[in-house]
Amino acid sequence: MAGRRRRRLDLTTPGLLGLPLAWLVAFFLVPIGIVGAYSIDVFSIFPGKHPVTLAGWHDFVHSAVYLKLFWKSVRMSLIVSALVVLLAYPLAYYLALSGTKRKYILLLILIAPFLTSYLLRVLAWKVILGSNGVVNSLLYWLGLRSHDNPVSQLLYSRFAVMLVLVYVWLPFVALPIFVSLESLDQRLLEAAADLYASRWQAFRRVTLPLSVPGIIAAFLFVFIPTVGEFVTPSLVGGTSGYMYGNQISDLFGTGFPDWRTGSVLALFLLGVVAALTGVFARFLGMRQTAAR
Amino acid sequence: MKGEELIERRVSREDFLKLGAAAGAAGLIAGRAGAADAARSHLEKESGRLQVLDWPGYGNDGGQAMFAQYVKKYPQNKPQFTVMTNESDALAKMHAGLKPDLFRPYVGWVKYFATSGLVQPWDPKLITNFKDLNPLMVKAGQYQGKQWGIPADWGFDAILYRTDKVHPKADSWGLLFDERYKGKIAWFDDLGMLVMAGFYLGFKDPYKQTDAQLQRAQKLLISKKHVARTIWSSETSLDNDFAAGDLWIAYAWPNDWVIMKKKGLKVRYMHPKEGPISWVGMFMLGKGTPRPHLAHAYVDAWSSVKSAKWLEDNYGYGEANTKARPASSDLLRALQLTNPRAVAEPNAHFDRDIPRRAVYAKKWEEVKAA
Amino acid sequence: MDAAMSKSGRRLLRGLFGLVVVFLYAPIAILLVFSFNNSELPSFPLSGFTLTWYRQFVHDPELIGSLETSAIVAALSSVGAVVLGTLASIPLARRRFTGKAAASALLLSPLVVPYVVLGISLLLLFHAVGVPRTIMTVVIGHIVISLPYTLLVLIPRLEQIDVALEEAAYDLGANRVQTFRLIILPLILPAVVSAFLISFTTSFDEYAIASFVAGTRATFPLYLYGALRFPNRLPEVIAVAVVVMTVSLIVVVGAELGRRVAERRLEALAS
Repeated sequence: MAGRRRRRLDLTTPGLLGLPLAWLVAFFLVPIGIVGAYSIDVFSIFPGKHPVTLAGWHDFVHSAVYLKLFWKSVRMSLIVSALVVLLAYPLAYYLALSGTKRKYILLLILIAPFLTSYLLRVLAWKVILGSNGVVNSLLYWLGLRSHDNPVSQLLYSRFAVMLVLVYVWLPFVALPIFVSLESLDQRLLEAAADLYASRWQAFRRVTLPLSVPGIIAAFLFVFIPTVGEFVTPSLVGGTSGYMYGNQISDLFGTGFPDWRTGSVLALFLLGVVAALTGVFARFLGMRQTAAR
Repeated sequence: MKGEELIERRVSREDFLKLGAAAGAAGLIAGRAGAADAARSHLEKESGRLQVLDWPGYGNDGGQAMFAQYVKKYPQNKPQFTVMTNESDALAKMHAGLKPDLFRPYVGWVKYFATSGLVQPWDPKLITNFKDLNPLMVKAGQYQGKQWGIPADWGFDAILYRTDKVHPKADSWGLLFDERYKGKIAWFDDLGMLVMAGFYLGFKDPYKQTDAQLQRAQKLLISKKHVARTIWSSETSLDNDFAAGDLWIAYAWPNDWVIMKKKGLKVRYMHPKEGPISWVGMFMLGKGTPRPHLAHAYVDAWSSVKSAKWLEDNYGYGEANTKARPASSDLLRALQLTNPRAVAEPNAHFDRDIPRRAVYAKKWEEVKAA
Repeated sequence: MDAAMSKSGRRLLRGLFGLVVVFLYAPIAILLVFSFNNSELPSFPLSGFTLTWYRQFVHDPELIGSLETSAIVAALSSVGAVVLGTLASIPLARRRFTGKAAASALLLSPLVVPYVVLGISLLLLFHAVGVPRTIMTVVIGHIVISLPYTLLVLIPRLEQIDVALEEAAYDLGANRVQTFRLIILPLILPAVVSAFLISFTTSFDEYAIASFVAGTRATFPLYLYGALRFPNRLPEVIAVAVVVMTVSLIVVVGAELGRRVAERRLEALAS
């Protein structure tokens, strides 16, 4: 009986997995390979013969410009991710551990904005931050500031980009932290209290270490999309808020099409993100085996 | 299916060339009417909607008046638009398989596209309004004796600034680098910024800079980038930020000046002593288009006095049709419409082919990235 | 004594929660207010009540067209993602086989790739093989990004279902398809619906990938992005914003509550 079932299941597994895996191979793995091909001129936007060349990669490594821009984006994105996690952690902590009966409703209130349009939430900040925007016009109206002297660095600045990114990602990040805190066995905290640990000690030695996986997941979920971000900076960033993702998108869009350099930049970004994810995944895996 | 399509295209191209010759001959004997009749009989054979690749704002999203006469005449072949955000976007789209019947790059790209194998020359005889077009601009649409581009809208690149806030030391492009107005200046997102920097630095031919010159121009822009609040690519967004007071100085087009004046701002449109840059849009005909006569008819509608005046009145650009005059005297002055050589030296540097465009583009992207 | 937080700590955290909720909702509320404001510029003081902007957007064929396009793209891509996700989640949740870790890593990996990279890689794929860009190319891309989300919803649900139920069905002579249709599907239906909704909202809101692979028909986010750069249409866009946000909030909250109720009921039935 068991033998018969196993044979049957052995056939179903590839049958069921085949199509989804094929989809991702065709529209995810192969395309990334094709980006690689464009980065060395195996394929090119211009028809005709092209010798295979590493010139794109050579230029990238030797031009300080791209790496500096990448570093700037990484810094901005790190600050945003850290801020978001710092803000979201106490909220998730409150929802998961305060014993409030309405925790799922409150969680939903927190997350709901994330499920509305991203662009519209950026738009809201454009309306708020401009020289004639909500903040400034309110200041004029209240007589706190004259029309000739608006707070002008609100819009089109690195600050604007980071503020909007924090706003956009905050609701989303509360979720993984909440999940990791909620699955925490509350008896551990009670045990710590029984052993005369203060709340702060219990938090530091029990809760915090156990919620590290949630924190890391949350951090990555913000860092990865924001480090490649180009939409928000193009709308509220101006000159100083220009990011690495903007350069990629510009190389494919404006100027003279330079798909080779664009492909190099995209692959580099992908490589860094993949390495980072790999390191954290391994770290989490090790922790899990150690915990067992 | 594909083979059929190919044959159809080839046939229509041959037909078209023959027709060109026939129309020329017929024109000599029977005058214009004869040629028009010949064209009309061919027009009936062309089917489907006319495929137009054009900038936003020139299709059914506001530009309807420009081709209203065409739609009236050929209701069966209404234009269908694809939006191009700039020439390189159009280039990428065409390499990716888009086959527009016609599209509209700017004058600096005429030679590039003429030699790219993506377009074919026009037959001016099929465009009745052609005779009214500015000869200087018509000439700019030619390459090796053929008419590759039909001039359409035109204007200047110069500096717009608020006279109540800004007091330039000289009428110069240098105002875009003025530290006193840091955070109130807008640059333009285009490799033309390197050409402008070349004029500012006094190079002999900024369109053909040597590596060393290009390096200098790039260095200047990078060292001054911190004064620029935005690098605009959408004109309306520039206008809004300027009107809102976020910007006082901008690399701008004449109509931006007209719009700001209308909003009651005290503004001046300054022609820098190094010379403003002038430009003109050029309709180009897709190679092997199955609808060549419809494309000619479409451009003819654009080139009429009525359309040209509408463009000047509503969009604030000049139009190559020299008979059109805008209602606004401000615009008339800004564009120097009474001077048919307004776009030429010594009044302005007429935009032209940049042989090393890809290198310029890369340098400009680096400026933004730096 | 509460081991997690003191009374004052709780009060502090509740205060922080309140502040964050204000931070999250104030911009949306401001949009709401200005959508009824009788002025082209969204600035204080308010200048009067109007419904002009709502009327204007209802009569803007381009805008309505883009909403339609997005609805089609979102419907097609979420059906695709849910079908693929259901197929994949069954073996991933309930079977052991070699290469399982690799398979699930691949299926989830689009989650950790910046969209700008996904967008250009699809653009280059379609360019290299000569596929013209249409709404179908957008659908293909959106299935790639929605698929992992459907797995994240479906797998935990499938893991909760007692294997004994399935075995009982086999013992009673049901074949695989019957077992799936009569036993598993009803039990995971709430999760399927919620996977569908997540995919739908993801696709409806997606700009980055669409900006690279969309053809002539603009999706709603593409239209919005264009309109954001053309601020003369700002009030109209704000009005749309309010409608879209309200509808999506209602759908999302309603679906979440519905799923909770349905799952609780199913659990009661199953036990």
